[in-house]
Amino acid sequence: MKKITLQGATIILLFFTTWFLLDQVDWMTLFEIEKNTEKTEEKLGELYLEIFTNEDSEITEPFVIKTVDSIISKICSANDIDHDFIKMHIIDHVETNAFALPNGHLILYNNLIRESESPEALSGVIAHEIAHIEGNHVMKKLIKEVGLSVLISITTGNGGGQIIKETAKTLSSTAFDRGLEKEADLLAVDYLVNAQIDPEPFASFLYALGSNENEMVNSLTWLRTHPDSEERAKYIIEYSENLSTEFKPVIMKPTWDKLKVELKKD
Amino acid sequence: MIQNTQFDYTPGEHEAEKASSSYLMSLIALVAGLPLPIINLLATLFFFLGNRKGTYFVRWHCTQALLSQVSVLFINSAAFWWTIAIIFEDDEITNKYIAYLIAALIFNLSEFIATMYTAIQTRKGIHVKWWFYANLTDLICKKS
Repeated sequence: MKKITLQGATIILLFFTTWFLLDQVDWMTLFEIEKNTEKTEEKLGELYLEIFTNEDSEITEPFVIKTVDSIISKICSANDIDHDFIKMHIIDHVETNAFALPNGHLILYNNLIRESESPEALSGVIAHEIAHIEGNHVMKKLIKEVGLSVLISITTGNGGGQIIKETAKTLSSTAFDRGLEKEADLLAVDYLVNAQIDPEPFASFLYALGSNENEMVNSLTWLRTHPDSEERAKYIIEYSENLSTEFKPVIMKPTWDKLKVELKKD
Repeated sequence: MIQNTQFDYTPGEHEAEKASSSYLMSLIALVAGLPLPIINLLATLFFFLGNRKGTYFVRWHCTQALLSQVSVLFINSAAFWWTIAIIFEDDEITNKYIAYLIAALIFNLSEFIATMYTAIQTRKGIHVKWWFYANLTDLICKKS
């Protein structure tokens, strides 16, 4: 019995010793793991962006871009987020929606900006999507919904255009799971508070439209794809009550009004 | 690590075939392309249960085959769940993870080669004893 125990312990020790010795080799550099992971995400981001920009035009009006980008800039600089990684695209589309794509692409449909009651409400939506990007929720969602092997085959060109189109729908039309949505909401509040942007208009935006049963709600795709808006509004308000800070306007009213006018022209 | 010896008696053709099959069970599950760590073990377990009333030679090798699968199960299960955690949870690929996969691969490959060799030798009626597993089998599997 003692012999067996000793032999068993030797096998276990042999395994852990093998593991330890192998761990001394820098496999990450040898296999270029980080480089390949970044490459895959970069390629996926480009492919998906192309789908959306091929279907609808991207708004390039400098004033619009600069104004909305100033919100992103404010959130990023207050939260040590690499602004260059967040690549904003304002797309001319009938739906009221915003979503994130791989590699930091943030898509905002111009109708969402038009429908936002205040720049703070828009900032909340933007902060929410940035939270998804920073939390790497986009890739996790894609892997869950689509499968790792399909994603890799897409980036190597074997996936086919149809798969890319179908999976693009997943990114724009479905929410993340409840856990990730709540994580993004609460992180968004942190981002807003750090940037001295009042999170309450974001919560009010969710609450008012979540409890409103008229047709307008159904047309607001961003809300439709993010269920339980009232509940989300409640926990956002509860969470932000504990965070007291002095808030400042994110965009001056004349600039906000001009932005709305510019977007109406499109 | 692997020793060819004489068994208590010379096994018959039928016995040698059954004993060899116990090792082939795990290989079949692998060849069928099933990546889940438990499948190999289940295949070997069902074969073991089906031969509980078999001859000593058959029972002995079914037991050794089963025991070797159990140890590999722990290694492979850890690799499987670690991979799931990386894909679906917040874990990231680290050097430790890659080193673990390679270590697991080495052990699985060693076990695969040993199993293949043992299946061939046992089919000829040769009694193959594995280091540690044979002693454990002697403890568990009695002559009658």
